[in-house]
Amino acid sequence: MNNFFSINGLTIFVYYLTHTLIIDIRNLTFGYSPKKLLYKNLNLQLPAGSIYGLLGRNGAGKSTLLKNMIGLLYPLKGSITVNGFQPGKRSPSFLSTIYFIPEEVYVPALTITRYVELFAVFYPLFNHEQFNSYLLALDTLTNERLDRLSFGQQKKFIIAFGLACNTEILLLDEPTNGLDIPSKKQFRKLIASVMNGDRMIFISTHQVRDLDNLIDQVIIVDNGELIMNEPLSAVAEKLFFGIVERSNDYQEILYSENALKGIAIVTKNTTGADSKINLEHLFNAATENAVMIKNIFK
Amino acid sequence: MNNTFQAARFGFLLKKSIYEKPFQLAGLTLLSMAVVLIMYAFLKTVAGFEVAQTGSFLTGLTGGCIIASVVYAYFSSSAMGYSFLTLPASAFEKWLYGIFLTGLYLLLFLLFFRVIDTLFVSYFLRHIHPNRAHYREIYETVTIFQYDSMVASQSFIMFFNFAGAMLIGSLYFNKTPFIRVALVICGCWCAAFVINLLIAKWMMPEAANAFPFLLVWINIGKDVARLDLPDYASHIVKLSFNFIIPAILWILAYIRLKEKEF
Repeated sequence: MNNFFSINGLTIFVYYLTHTLIIDIRNLTFGYSPKKLLYKNLNLQLPAGSIYGLLGRNGAGKSTLLKNMIGLLYPLKGSITVNGFQPGKRSPSFLSTIYFIPEEVYVPALTITRYVELFAVFYPLFNHEQFNSYLLALDTLTNERLDRLSFGQQKKFIIAFGLACNTEILLLDEPTNGLDIPSKKQFRKLIASVMNGDRMIFISTHQVRDLDNLIDQVIIVDNGELIMNEPLSAVAEKLFFGIVERSNDYQEILYSENALKGIAIVTKNTTGADSKINLEHLFNAATENAVMIKNIFK
Repeated sequence: MNNTFQAARFGFLLKKSIYEKPFQLAGLTLLSMAVVLIMYAFLKTVAGFEVAQTGSFLTGLTGGCIIASVVYAYFSSSAMGYSFLTLPASAFEKWLYGIFLTGLYLLLFLLFFRVIDTLFVSYFLRHIHPNRAHYREIYETVTIFQYDSMVASQSFIMFFNFAGAMLIGSLYFNKTPFIRVALVICGCWCAAFVINLLIAKWMMPEAANAFPFLLVWINIGKDVARLDLPDYASHIVKLSFNFIIPAILWILAYIRLKEKEF
């Protein structure tokens, strides 16, 4: 609970009290080889009721973290508890409360009706009406065999199915890869619409713009380290995102890049000014100035 | 919720898997039966009933080993592997489904083999002319293949060993498991043969050859004599091949499935 009392202590304390801790990662050490570790002593405690965005560079270990959470990989050291279960045991009680949508999805040579008949029975809260409405929203209602659909269509089908399973936890790995622009918009709308206080949605992506206006909390990992795990409200409070004419006027610039109308900057918010969070700039600031970011959010 | 076994969940898993892989499961079963039929008819014509029965029986059991190598063939792609491992069914149910399908194949094959064997044998016996030379001898020699015969017993032992190896091998080798496991088996067999021979030669310089792990041929002057294991040792070896090794392989498949990271 690294952000306890960090911004508004009481608010966060109340938040943690009222929201069940659903993912509890303690001192996670993981690597595909013990000599080359991806994560070393990672701690992450996430309550339900939020949409989390996990950001990281290619190869930073985002998918690996998700696979540890679902029990496809086991930590070398440390522990992971998800919804009260140890994921590595892959017990049916655990797996029926979590749905994982990987970057590459698998669909067998079945029609939608047959797929639902065969797979939905494993998820007690699966809702057929919701499923049909999600398919309609994502424009994926078809009688064709699933393996004959395009990759994007297959992915939209799996997203609709995963949402309709109504699992408490939904893990999505690069969900917008392969989706066209209207589908990305629909995806964001759907994700926002299915969210409730008992649910957790965890989205891992390197396409940070796809998470704009969608996530409640941002998690940034780099070089096997957790750089940031903060609600967007805290980010807005502590950092300033803006476009300025001269960057020299600002101290503690965490990130800057040339923009059309000046220089886009990310700085420490010393004046309490409101600004619109730019996730891409936030990510760049966090990865380029990890120490400063950590100090700001300490 | 029972996290080890639930009959309904197991049924769902079985149904899902059969619909999901109809070609691999039903297709391979039908193909195997067709090959057995053709093999039987061909070998009967060119080499007689005994060879036809043994050859086609072994072919059918080999088909079972191929089935065993495809029941867990979910790991050739990441997405398929994730889908299988994260499906809310227990590792025991997922293991049992592999055993069940392999067993089901064996049952179907045995039924099918008995049917074709009976048809071929009865057709032959009905059409053999009583005036034919050695009629009585031929009539008594050509019989239905017995599943409790020595040949059948040895074949079953091989099947249980190889099918177990295929089940566990398909959980280690994500791609083309049948070929890779077959190569590993060949490698192990060759290694066992060489090691056994070297040990035999080391212990008995006059050893001519040795068959793992039951007998040694030794040179005595110009003759070669066969030296069998004593009864108690032979019993242990047979027990190992008949029960212990297959049981270990089949149980290891469960442990591997339970522990598999992907």
